[in-house]
Amino acid sequence: MIPKKRKIVSTLALFACFLTALWGIFWLSFIIIDVVRHGITAINPSLFLKDPAPPGEEGGGLRNAFIGHLLLTVFATLIGVPIGVLGGTFLAEYGRKYKISRVISTLADIMVSVPAIIIGAFIYAIIVKPMGHFSGWAGACALGIIMIPTVLRTTENMLSLIPWPLREAAFALGAPYYKVIIQVVYKGAATGILTGIILSIARVTGEAAPLLFTAFNNNYFSLDMSQPIASLTVTIFQYAMGPYEDWHAQAWGAALMITLFILIATISGRILIKRRYRD
Amino acid sequence: MKKQKGKITDIIFLAITAITAFSIIALSLGIFLVLFKESLPAVEKFGFVSFILSKEWDPVREIFGAAPALIGTLITSFFALLFAVPIAVGIAIFITEIAPSFLKGVIGTAIELLAAIPSIIYGMWGLFTLAPIMSENIEPLLQSTFGKLPLLGKLFEGTPLGVDLFTASIILSIMIIPFTASIARDSFNLTPSVLKESAYAIGATKWEVVKDVVLPYSKLGVLGGVGLSLGRALGETMAVAFVLGNLNQIPHSLFDAAATVTVKLANEFTEADKDIYLSSLYYLALLLFILSFTILAMAKLFLLKAERK
Amino acid sequence: MIPEIEVRNLNFYYTGGIHILKNINMTVYKNQVTALIGPSGCGKTTLLRCFNRMHDLYAGNKYDGEIIFQGMNILSKETDLIELRSKIGMVFQKPTPFPMSIYENIAYGLKLRGIKSRGELKTRVEKALKDAALWDEVKDKLNANAFGLSGGQQQRLCIARALAVEPEIILFDEPTSALDPISTAKIEELIISLKGIVTIIIVTHNMQQAARISDWTGFMMLGELVEYDRTDKIFTVPSNKLTEDYITGRFG
Repeated sequence: MIPKKRKIVSTLALFACFLTALWGIFWLSFIIIDVVRHGITAINPSLFLKDPAPPGEEGGGLRNAFIGHLLLTVFATLIGVPIGVLGGTFLAEYGRKYKISRVISTLADIMVSVPAIIIGAFIYAIIVKPMGHFSGWAGACALGIIMIPTVLRTTENMLSLIPWPLREAAFALGAPYYKVIIQVVYKGAATGILTGIILSIARVTGEAAPLLFTAFNNNYFSLDMSQPIASLTVTIFQYAMGPYEDWHAQAWGAALMITLFILIATISGRILIKRRYRD
Repeated sequence: MKKQKGKITDIIFLAITAITAFSIIALSLGIFLVLFKESLPAVEKFGFVSFILSKEWDPVREIFGAAPALIGTLITSFFALLFAVPIAVGIAIFITEIAPSFLKGVIGTAIELLAAIPSIIYGMWGLFTLAPIMSENIEPLLQSTFGKLPLLGKLFEGTPLGVDLFTASIILSIMIIPFTASIARDSFNLTPSVLKESAYAIGATKWEVVKDVVLPYSKLGVLGGVGLSLGRALGETMAVAFVLGNLNQIPHSLFDAAATVTVKLANEFTEADKDIYLSSLYYLALLLFILSFTILAMAKLFLLKAERK
Repeated sequence: MIPEIEVRNLNFYYTGGIHILKNINMTVYKNQVTALIGPSGCGKTTLLRCFNRMHDLYAGNKYDGEIIFQGMNILSKETDLIELRSKIGMVFQKPTPFPMSIYENIAYGLKLRGIKSRGELKTRVEKALKDAALWDEVKDKLNANAFGLSGGQQQRLCIARALAVEPEIILFDEPTSALDPISTAKIEELIISLKGIVTIIIVTHNMQQAARISDWTGFMMLGELVEYDRTDKIFTVPSNKLTEDYITGRFG
């Protein structure tokens, strides 16, 4: 009697767990389908090739935002990746034995989750205010700072996975440590580090909050990083909250492109790392 | 000669890597100090206790108080956790203990993709798709059921407009599910299989093994995951900015519009035309930074402790 | 001598069809200690884990043949694993206290069986701890966390936990391999004292241990049960050359 009741309870509880997984998948599909459904109608050549029309007028596109976003992301990567990779190298190699390295690791883990808008406020105070105006550089710096902890931690983890005897073998040939790191350790960990970089680029591509008061926005096409520059995410925020149907459609189009890019980058990153570390 | 050169290059490389690593410390300290310095005028003018207790937010009269924003932040995060944690733990149980191996990977990836979707997309989708569904279907339904209950019914009062605490909390909960779920999954996987086997060996059912062995064994890790999600929820900006309404009031019902610290920052930072206005926003940012940093640090400590076990 | 378990033509395959146990036939007698010995990888633990169908926790394993216990083939699909495992207990290589207090560890299995009365729980926990020769050491700290006990005490706690639900059989999987000699001696004494109350099947890599505590010994090699007989016979006049080589230490 009792075992039967216990088994029913068990089956019910496990079924409830199955439902929670469905719940997660339900929202994922709901959001993605919705973004595709709305976004697909807004995708046309002028979205990519034209700059915004004056408010209220039909037509126009988001060329400025696509290019601005690309610039911001590229420069953010140029700031965030070298610092992250080198910092991770210190933690996993030279600084491996020191307690301070564990402290930095922990701090980096915390910084990964610190609100992105705080980074925006920080950059506003140290770059935008002294310069007197918003700028692409400020935006790239904010995004770059957001990338550092993620890249740093992945690099550290990936380097730690390289077996120590491999380094010893290289030392035994008389190589100095920096050569061992660059020629042996980096090579072994390249896929892992690359994945970390891809994932962190995917993450900053979707950021809007840190750009709001750094890069700000620009309704005109601009390649000048020392001036305010448009980005897809801030444009989505502005357009979606705006009153015009046409703006909403373009915001959906931009949302679709961003989502596609991020999902593809995330999935390929995961496949890459799975293939490398399967065995 | 050559050996000498190698040594010097090595020291240079060491120095560069060390500097970059220490930049994390500099950055954390720098953010704190800069936020503190920028908020100093507001700190001096409004103090601490009266700032966090004051309901006023009046740019014209230059009187600023943090209570509505702080309360909004805490309420949305609380309800987000309330909705998300049971779901996330359930997902982790499903992935580690129930799913056949081909489903493990698929569902694991799907849940992590939820974390990859940018918050601006959540926000936009929330505003255009979820909010109308909420105001037309879900919220009236809740009002006609839970709204009738004594005491609890108060939470469901008001006109359901869809742009409110409830919608914001639901969206936040979806966003933080993957963080709790993936950490809970990792903690469950740390449970030694021989421990699970010994529970099976005295005739426990699968659910009893999960409930009495796996969950107690991994509770530190799960708590850490919850803390991490809380840290995320407190600082989430764009998703909430779309569906909360940025209304400076202390909410009385889940169907009230409200503000959070992040929403205030996102909407008002570039409009702050007076120094004390901007400084008050920085003061809010400082409080948010301290709050989320403390919670994240605690979560991290839990996780480290759980790993060491 | 009453037979407790009849193993007939038992074959066992791991994922991918790897043949682990080959045509095992043996009779385990009631209230006796049966030891399984053999070089590592010979399948002795795999065989032990067939008796409570532990392999079912992992996908892809396949049984073939019969294990008859209380008139039923426990390998059949109809077997209720929960019930089976409450009749056949198990003690593992490393002590596995649950993340609960000492008292709760023992009471857990009883509660699963629906015993709610506090008084009954208390008496049965006390009896199990006494049977496992642990009572005197823990009676003052029943509510302390079980992880605080020493390795040997933890193992005796696990034995008490298995005893508490009054099983017919207890399976021991190298229960002393992680323990110091003094704790090992205590566990061995305990196993001998339990004889007559329960049937014991023990896997051990330690031949002297098998000789000291068991009535019956099975010698396994490469998935086959090479020889199965009374312990004194196995260790004095084995009938198989391989057994003789093994117990005299010529390989192993």
